[in-house]
Amino acid sequence: MSLLRNLARRRLRTALTVTGITIGIWALVVFGSMASKISSIVAMGSDYYAGKIVVTDKSGDASGRSPMDIALADDIAALEGVAGAVPGVSTLLDPESMGGPSIPDMIVGDLPGADQGHKTFDLHYAQGRALTTQDAHGHAAVLGSDLARKLGTSVGDALEIRGLTFEVVGILEPTLTAPDTTVRVPLAAAQEIFFQDLPPVVRQNLQADRLATDITVYPDEGTDIEALAARIEADIPNASAMTATEFDKVAGSSVAIFSAIIVGVALISLIVGGLSVINTMAMSVAERTREIGIKRAIGGSRARVIRELVSEAGLIGLLGGLLGLGLGSVVVYLANEAGRSSGMILFLLTPQTAVFAVLFSIILGVVAGIIPAWNAARLDPVAALRYE
Amino acid sequence: MALLEGRNLRKTYKLGRKNEVQALRGVAVSIEAGELVALMGPSGSGKSTLMHLLGLLHGPDQNHGPAPELSFGGRDATRMSDGERTRIRAREMGFVFQQFNLVPTLTAVENVMLAGEYAGLGRREARERAIARLDMVGLAERATHRPSELSGGEQQRVAIARALVNDPALVLADEPTGNLDSHRSAELLGLIRKLNREHGQTFVLVTHDAEVGAACDRIIRMRDGLVRAVELVNEPTLGDVGEAAA
Repeated sequence: MSLLRNLARRRLRTALTVTGITIGIWALVVFGSMASKISSIVAMGSDYYAGKIVVTDKSGDASGRSPMDIALADDIAALEGVAGAVPGVSTLLDPESMGGPSIPDMIVGDLPGADQGHKTFDLHYAQGRALTTQDAHGHAAVLGSDLARKLGTSVGDALEIRGLTFEVVGILEPTLTAPDTTVRVPLAAAQEIFFQDLPPVVRQNLQADRLATDITVYPDEGTDIEALAARIEADIPNASAMTATEFDKVAGSSVAIFSAIIVGVALISLIVGGLSVINTMAMSVAERTREIGIKRAIGGSRARVIRELVSEAGLIGLLGGLLGLGLGSVVVYLANEAGRSSGMILFLLTPQTAVFAVLFSIILGVVAGIIPAWNAARLDPVAALRYE
Repeated sequence: MALLEGRNLRKTYKLGRKNEVQALRGVAVSIEAGELVALMGPSGSGKSTLMHLLGLLHGPDQNHGPAPELSFGGRDATRMSDGERTRIRAREMGFVFQQFNLVPTLTAVENVMLAGEYAGLGRREARERAIARLDMVGLAERATHRPSELSGGEQQRVAIARALVNDPALVLADEPTGNLDSHRSAELLGLIRKLNREHGQTFVLVTHDAEVGAACDRIIRMRDGLVRAVELVNEPTLGDVGEAAA
């Protein structure tokens, strides 16, 4: 109670210090949420690749894969240690949407039921059903949650993709990663779309129903996945085999850069916030020299003087932390809402980030308050009483 | 045995690198429990400094001259740690300082409570006692005012209530009537005498005011950092309750 009054006494200075900390914590919350989002995507990706190998053509890249012959799936399936090899096609939903900071919307075509009996990435349906073998030659589609919201589609609606009309049969629960911005269609339909998009020169030598962009390989139980991936790359011309370990290595390096940014932001806010708390508390000790002298003279112990000033600094930290968290959450929420229509969900504010930010801020205040408080407690009471 | 006993008390303040002020040049003083003593003398005579030494706010100089001695209630104060001295100030002493030494952010009652809490009282008890002491100095209805909303005299009375909240054995007051008009001043002296007579509390009053001196049992006169004279004013009347109203 008297703590708040002491802060209120120097309203402007307290406000400035709290603002400084607020900005630091705000940055921590926003960057932390961005990092959480990225690592959640990476973690999901890692789950997605777990226990299997995804083979693509060496000349392709993540979003524009090169076509492979579907027959390669049989070649791979014939290798030792392979339980099954399922061809799939994935391509951009909107061919113009290359680049940008987030995951692009994708069309994924696969053979319904082909991954039966293998360990797969679990998908849950918010509405409707999964694709089945009956859909294999029809035009049924399952939408990811973000995509469904963005397009305003629900089960039973028609969906037009590159001139083809699909019936939406299912909508997925949010997964926080790639499937959210993906439309899943039968392989044949995806092949057709992918084929249309190819340059005419390339198209000449290909047949739509012989195309695949990736082949998912399920190893036999007990097989060394890394060794199998190496074997595939050795035996199949132009094959690039991606495993969970490799994925983690590739994705991990970008996560590491991001973590470094977060640490940097945290350090800057630590230094700036800490210095401004020290400054504020030092000023307030100087201003209150006489008051501290009175308290010591009438029997206030050193510990008590320290405790009082340190709590005051901690309270500044708490206020800054809460405000920073509040503003950060607002920004994260608004940015996510604004980005939702275009599928750009950039932030994930986890409870851990929130708690950490506030605790960090309190500790910052307390640590920064210790030095001025210590000096105050060591004042000679008589000299402090005389202080003007 | 004397409540306060001091010998060879010296205190030197450094004002600059070479500029030193010898505030006390070797003082011997003895104050009995239950006495009402005035410390008088011109400005700079060392009376405030002596009060600070007697109140254990300062230690006497140890590094020159004959070894100082200072005891409070039979305990050697020259060897006490800061913590021990703080504890004695909190529990056994009451202070009224020159000028209005109240905590500006706290209300009158909170200022008084603070000393109670330092003395180890619980919040509730500290509050009850604080209100009772404010009532004693005639300020009960001003209890929730901040120092800035009180007159100089009122602030002085809050400081007096604060000095009394822990029922101290010794009250040290620096110019307690400095900001009071003659009516209030007489009233306060009446209160001090009453507490002194009825509760046997010991008072040491630093003052310029001859009337205050005249109301005490004894006057210690100081000049240039030394005790020049000790005068008995009234017969020691410890236990003589009948005189309290005088």
